[in-house]
Amino acid sequence: MSSQVVVKLENVTKRFENLVAVNNVSFEVYKGELFTLLGPSGCGKTTTLRIIAGLEYPDEGKVYIDGVDVTEKPARERGVCLVFQEYAVFPHMSVFENIAFGLRVKKLSKTEVERKVKEIAEILDLSNYLNFKGGKLGLSEQQRVAIARCLAVEPKLLLLDEPLTLADAKIKEKMRRELRKLQKDLGVTMIFVTHDQLEALMLSDRIAIMRSGRLIQLGTPEEVYDNPGDLFVATFVGSPTINLLEGVLEIDGNRLLLKTDSHKYAVASDINVKTLQGLVGSEVVIGFRPEDVEVMPEGVLEGVVKLAEIAEDKRILYVKLNDHEVKVFVDLFTSFNEGQKVILKINPLKLHIFDKKTGKKLLKGVIPG
Amino acid sequence: MVVKNILTRVLAWLILLIIVTWTLIPVIWIISLSFKPYAEWRTPSLFPKNPTLDNYIILFSPQSVSIFIAYTAIIEPITGPLIRSIAVSILATVIAVIIGFFTAYGASRYNTPGPFTLFFTLLTRMLPPATFVTPIMIYFTTLRLLDNVLGLILLYSATTLTYAVWILKGFIDAIPVEWEEAALMEGATPFQVLLKVVIPIARPGFVVSGLFIFLMSWTELLFALVLTSVNVTLPVQISKYVTAVGALWGVQAAIALLGSLIPLVIGYLIQKHLITGFTFGLVRG
Amino acid sequence: MPEKPPKSIKILSSLPLNLLLNGILIIPFIIMIYLAFVKWSPLMGVEWWNAPFNGLVNFQRALSDTRFIEALGRTALFVAIAVPLEFFIGLALAYLLQKPFKGKKYLVSLLIYPLMLPPVVVATVFYLFFQPYGPVNNIFLQYIIGPSALNIYWFLDKTLAFVTIIVADVWQWTPFMFLILYSGLSAVPKRLVEAAEVLGANEWTVFWRIRLPLIKPLILIAVILRSLEAFKIFDYVYVMTGGGPGTTTESISLYIYRLAILYSDISYAAAVSLIVLVLIFIISRLATKYLLEKR
Repeated sequence: MSSQVVVKLENVTKRFENLVAVNNVSFEVYKGELFTLLGPSGCGKTTTLRIIAGLEYPDEGKVYIDGVDVTEKPARERGVCLVFQEYAVFPHMSVFENIAFGLRVKKLSKTEVERKVKEIAEILDLSNYLNFKGGKLGLSEQQRVAIARCLAVEPKLLLLDEPLTLADAKIKEKMRRELRKLQKDLGVTMIFVTHDQLEALMLSDRIAIMRSGRLIQLGTPEEVYDNPGDLFVATFVGSPTINLLEGVLEIDGNRLLLKTDSHKYAVASDINVKTLQGLVGSEVVIGFRPEDVEVMPEGVLEGVVKLAEIAEDKRILYVKLNDHEVKVFVDLFTSFNEGQKVILKINPLKLHIFDKKTGKKLLKGVIPG
Repeated sequence: MVVKNILTRVLAWLILLIIVTWTLIPVIWIISLSFKPYAEWRTPSLFPKNPTLDNYIILFSPQSVSIFIAYTAIIEPITGPLIRSIAVSILATVIAVIIGFFTAYGASRYNTPGPFTLFFTLLTRMLPPATFVTPIMIYFTTLRLLDNVLGLILLYSATTLTYAVWILKGFIDAIPVEWEEAALMEGATPFQVLLKVVIPIARPGFVVSGLFIFLMSWTELLFALVLTSVNVTLPVQISKYVTAVGALWGVQAAIALLGSLIPLVIGYLIQKHLITGFTFGLVRG
Repeated sequence: MPEKPPKSIKILSSLPLNLLLNGILIIPFIIMIYLAFVKWSPLMGVEWWNAPFNGLVNFQRALSDTRFIEALGRTALFVAIAVPLEFFIGLALAYLLQKPFKGKKYLVSLLIYPLMLPPVVVATVFYLFFQPYGPVNNIFLQYIIGPSALNIYWFLDKTLAFVTIIVADVWQWTPFMFLILYSGLSAVPKRLVEAAEVLGANEWTVFWRIRLPLIKPLILIAVILRSLEAFKIFDYVYVMTGGGPGTTTESISLYIYRLAILYSDISYAAAVSLIVLVLIFIISRLATKYLLEKR
């Protein structure tokens, strides 16, 4: 992936009446990457996409495409194309005419148009559908026509607004892979909007997580998953959701303790507590993922098994620790009974400590020893 | 490129301006003319220099104007035709809407009357009324319904019925059948279902079709001309002021204005539904 | 709903309708057919139901009646000129008013008031307008051709008179076309327009290649309905030109009216009415069949 910047947003803000839909958002997108805007409904990701496309204009800030300031330019002048969530295939035109639309606008010759349309149709497996009327297509075909339409005009940037939300659960998997493959094969720079974090993690080169109009974290899927900068990101990304323990942080010797109203947990032992000194007494939320905790024969964290669930290639244990419940991944070979006492060990390197009030990451990982 | 942009915008606004002016000029001129005294009738000025109510006064008491004595056609003060028009329009509307409602309900829920009859009702509006003038005149003469408010009421209800049927059918179609079925299952008689479920929800349909039919009845000229001679409706009276007498401009303007007031009020009340009316509910305004 | 309608509903939904329509319209229709085949006029002194049989004489007379044929042709010509004019002006207006702007609602409200006026009022207005000393001559043309404009007698020249009728109809009914086209165009899904925009289309292209094609059925309804209405034209001709000069602006409705009322030529009027009815019926049947199918 190159480092050439295709899109740059600078302090973009957009208001709708009393609501700030996009709040001081800035980021860059590189050529050839699949960049995802991820977040819950109403976080401003679609609005941001539309601002890049030129269908909305920001109240503040600037948008650059290929280095050119396009903030004031309408959609048709930006060389950018958008695939809508509902696909918006022109119902009164055939598939051929749909794909040819942008080319005809550019006033290409008849033979040119025909050649290009057939070429794109081939790539997207639409060659047999060219004569079908737009209004008579199934969802999967509609999506491909919408993409083909955009690809035909060879845009600098392809924008997709939740393109898989409408699809059947069974087909989603397949469509996702095809989309990624297409993107990589053609080298198209793509900005993808979705609320499905699994999708984002699977497809993206980089993810921008948004919430309430703000850009919370920007990074690769690994970065976002392994090093969430924020409680929101930690909970939003990852399935099943990250385990969280709330309380006041304390140190006892080489142990990290968490004090709640009713209990004092020994979260980790045999660790270097130097980095934790400054946090003693603060209200924190400690997070750790189900795959980063194991059942051990001995240890400091005790709990009781509430439920054991089988999921594909592992078991999910729901363990009750006094006033919290956590999920633990174990292998399929060991079996657990309800009510069984277990001892858990959390990998100290994968302990995420967040400030309870602000949600911000305080510390990632604690060094053993 | 930018110049082309500005030029097209200017052109667009210019065309818009022309159309708006062309739409407004007639009404402005007529209002002004109706207030102009006799001496100013032929002047090109847009507004009267000495505005007067004379023209309107003449409408209400033409006998007072000496030159009018010779014109027996328009000797009647305008109050008569006005009242007759109101009476005819209201009663025709009531009959048309009531009958139209029951027909529309049957057509919507049970397919009674059948599609042929429905098409036939459309026909009553598509065929030129002039073609029916001859037999209706003979028919009404024999029935002694000439020169008679009752005759016009019956005729207008028959000819505007189709509007009521189609407009109301559209509104009734939009009511989920399940609501009526639920009421029936709770023991309501079909009539009670009509009264308690359908009519309240279809109320906008009544308003739209009622006002629209009133408008159609108020503005009708041809049959009124044929069927009335002394007891005329307002449109006939207006036409008499023009055809019987050549040059009473100010007065003609005044009566034109008076005849437009009620239609304009109604028109603006249902302006969102005007197209629904004119297209028999085919196009939802 | 139950398959069979309850008796009360069945009666209520057909009986009053049939009573009214049969009583007021069907019976006269039958009378008209009867009259067309007899020879009768009130001046004959007999009651109309005792009129002597006349066979096809009335119809034969109609076929060679130049005034009748001309009235038909003239009315058709009028429709062929007025309706397209109304369509294109209405379309242009709908195009210009696509984009939202301040006060657009009020502007639209303003533009449609001609539809609400009684045609007889519009006729009176334009009658006054086209008088020699009326505003058209007095204000308008004076600027273009000077004081000789006052000598233009619109209603005394057959072409000019025809023009005045067209002007009146176009003035009153263009808003009808505009309103239908305008509401149709506004109903085009926003997504489709945006999809075209991101593909590079400008307003003009969007209008011609997206919006307009999607409202084709609406256009058809508007044009057919308006044409049928325009064919019936009576009020403007009666009030403004009286069919004149001579009979050069006489519409078919006016001709039939005169036959029945002015000349009391009842049975001939009935025959002529019947011929026109059959003609229109055929056209209407085709039109509504098409419209109802589309729906």
